[in-house]
Amino acid sequence: MPMPGPVVPAPAGKALLILLLLVGLPVIPAHAIAQEQFPQFEDVAARAAAARDQGNLPLAIELYGQAEQLKPDWAEGWFYLGLLQYSSDHFTQGIEAFNHLLQLQPNAPPAMALRGLCEFETGAYDDALRDLDEGVQKGAANEPRNEQIIRYHLAQLLARAGRFEDALLQYQFFGAKHIDDTDILLGVGLAGMRNTTLPKDVPAGSREFLIAAGSAGYVFLSGDSRQADELFNQLFVRYPTVPNLHFFYGTLLFMHGPELAIPQFQSEVAIAPSNPAAHAILAYSLMYAGRFAEARPEAELAVAGAPDMEMALIALGRSLAETGDPDRAAEVLNQVLKRDPNDLEAHMGLAVMYTRTGRREEAYRERMVCLGLRK
Amino acid sequence: MLVCFLCALASGRPELAQTAKPPAASPVTCATCHAGVVASYAHAPMRHALESPGANPVLETHPDLTVQMGGYSYTVRTKDGQSTYTVSDGSDSMTLPIRWNFGEKTQTWVLEKDGNLYESLVSYFHREKALAVTPGDDRITPHNLTEAMGRKLNAWEINQCFNCHATNALDGVKLKLDTLTPGLGCERCHVGAEQHMADAIQDNFATLPKKLKTMDAEDAANFCGQCHRTWDTVLRNGWKGVVDVRFQPYRLENSRCFTGNDRRISCLACHDPHQPVNHNDGLYDSKCLACHGDTKPSKISTATAPPAAKVCPVAKSNCVSCHMLKVELPGGHAVFTDHMIRIVKAGEPYPY
Repeated sequence: MPMPGPVVPAPAGKALLILLLLVGLPVIPAHAIAQEQFPQFEDVAARAAAARDQGNLPLAIELYGQAEQLKPDWAEGWFYLGLLQYSSDHFTQGIEAFNHLLQLQPNAPPAMALRGLCEFETGAYDDALRDLDEGVQKGAANEPRNEQIIRYHLAQLLARAGRFEDALLQYQFFGAKHIDDTDILLGVGLAGMRNTTLPKDVPAGSREFLIAAGSAGYVFLSGDSRQADELFNQLFVRYPTVPNLHFFYGTLLFMHGPELAIPQFQSEVAIAPSNPAAHAILAYSLMYAGRFAEARPEAELAVAGAPDMEMALIALGRSLAETGDPDRAAEVLNQVLKRDPNDLEAHMGLAVMYTRTGRREEAYRERMVCLGLRK
Repeated sequence: MLVCFLCALASGRPELAQTAKPPAASPVTCATCHAGVVASYAHAPMRHALESPGANPVLETHPDLTVQMGGYSYTVRTKDGQSTYTVSDGSDSMTLPIRWNFGEKTQTWVLEKDGNLYESLVSYFHREKALAVTPGDDRITPHNLTEAMGRKLNAWEINQCFNCHATNALDGVKLKLDTLTPGLGCERCHVGAEQHMADAIQDNFATLPKKLKTMDAEDAANFCGQCHRTWDTVLRNGWKGVVDVRFQPYRLENSRCFTGNDRRISCLACHDPHQPVNHNDGLYDSKCLACHGDTKPSKISTATAPPAAKVCPVAKSNCVSCHMLKVELPGGHAVFTDHMIRIVKAGEPYPY
């Protein structure tokens, strides 16, 4: 199975997962279910557990399958069956087992995460993203030793889905723990360079640059901003016209302050003047920094290139509100709210628009909406 | 404000600046022309937001401070104008010079070890006149002397700390520890003051710093909020709870009466940053009554001022004692005035 070796070596990683994902799964012991009514089931379940303990995976799979035929609502059995299938590289069968379990226990984060890992291996990437994302949100990565394998796969999928900033947040975990495997560096490079290719599909000719970019990003994520700055500046000299490199560094700097990121986004716009995303992030950063007059023309350019881009619309709406065009500000911000009524930045923009025009009650109402939406 | 009424003139050459023009040999400072405001600002807390060694009356007055905390003992000793910070676990100890004093009365220190900067794990609290854990650091369980000494600061935190407690601390994103000016000097708020000073001495008054006194409420909240935290900053960071009572611009903007284009509710309507904060509640009555009085709106209201606000049926004095509660900051050893102006209902929890 193409697992990222040093992150969690394949066999060891799986074994670890088998042991650790059990933590937190609310299972009902087989004997408790079977004592009264299913003597045959109890026997099969006991033999399945024994085979599993002995490491006889094929026999254990066979016996857990039999037990589930006798007692289909046995959650623990489905979990072990799925886990054993995953460990045997039978990913489709693993998915089936976890489907049964998740029907019985829809909020079982470990099962969700394991199904996501199986789906990843079958190439069902959208399903894998959904399961891993939800699994992590519900605590599947809370066990420190599970965290690596789950976050690594989730990060790859987030980048594949174009959620590059979310992917970098997942990779931040590896930086903080100083886990600097080449696969991680490549993954960071892909996410940072806004490349939706999965690491395993990267052409050989692109690897060197992506790993170099990923290394600079990784160093930043690990907390050494000084060295990261040196590495990025070396890359800028070596690759002066490569799009998204300044975007990458700017995105990292933005986490610590928009004003730090602005020069990088300005450089990106100079390299790729027709990239609406670059104009949008520049406008957004200027908006965060309170430089609304500068944000406005950038936001206009971004919206002209990508009329539906939320970030661009928010930057435009807010900068219009701040620079004396309340009517158009309201129009743009309400366009965002039509799509997402709970968009905090859009409500913040409206609050400012109202307060700057003296509409006190409406401003107060919007502010209270914002307080309610605050994470 | 350091922009005197002469500098605030729309055009023309300020007469006072001419007459106050110093002899050529005298060193020119802001006080050369703005003596009054500079003299009063010398006593304002912001001026002393950061002090370097040898300028710490608090520690001079309390030369031997100790506290026992979580298995470690801390000592802050001051002698001949130099202060040291010592932490000991009983068998080993670490002593560092206090290089930066953050705060005028209540103080936290920034310490340097092996090229890294640390926020001291204990601070001096003015109310108790004693050491205790630094607010926010009570969650830290030290595993060794270095961790017990302080919390290591990352580059971004350091920049933020010094940018709000010192003047000319940053060159772009680069921290200038060796050349910054401790505390908030004129230039920190009045950007361009140094250029203005250089030009004014040549009778050139074309480069006046921006007039801050004319900011409306929204702009003032954002300006002061650079350090006291803006409404946007608090929202975006998801900060909640009683701790946000420290973020006065944010709390003020949550008030029902806040209107961005009305200077009567601006930070500067009540506070002169060049003076120490006045804790006499009655002093602020005229500010409240500028909107809630039973007379016509005051002269400073804007042309688009909203209709007159309601008149308080209970009292016409000491308004803030009822409408701006005093809140104990957990772990802060201090009481803060909640700037969310409101009709407080008995027993209601702190609103956030």
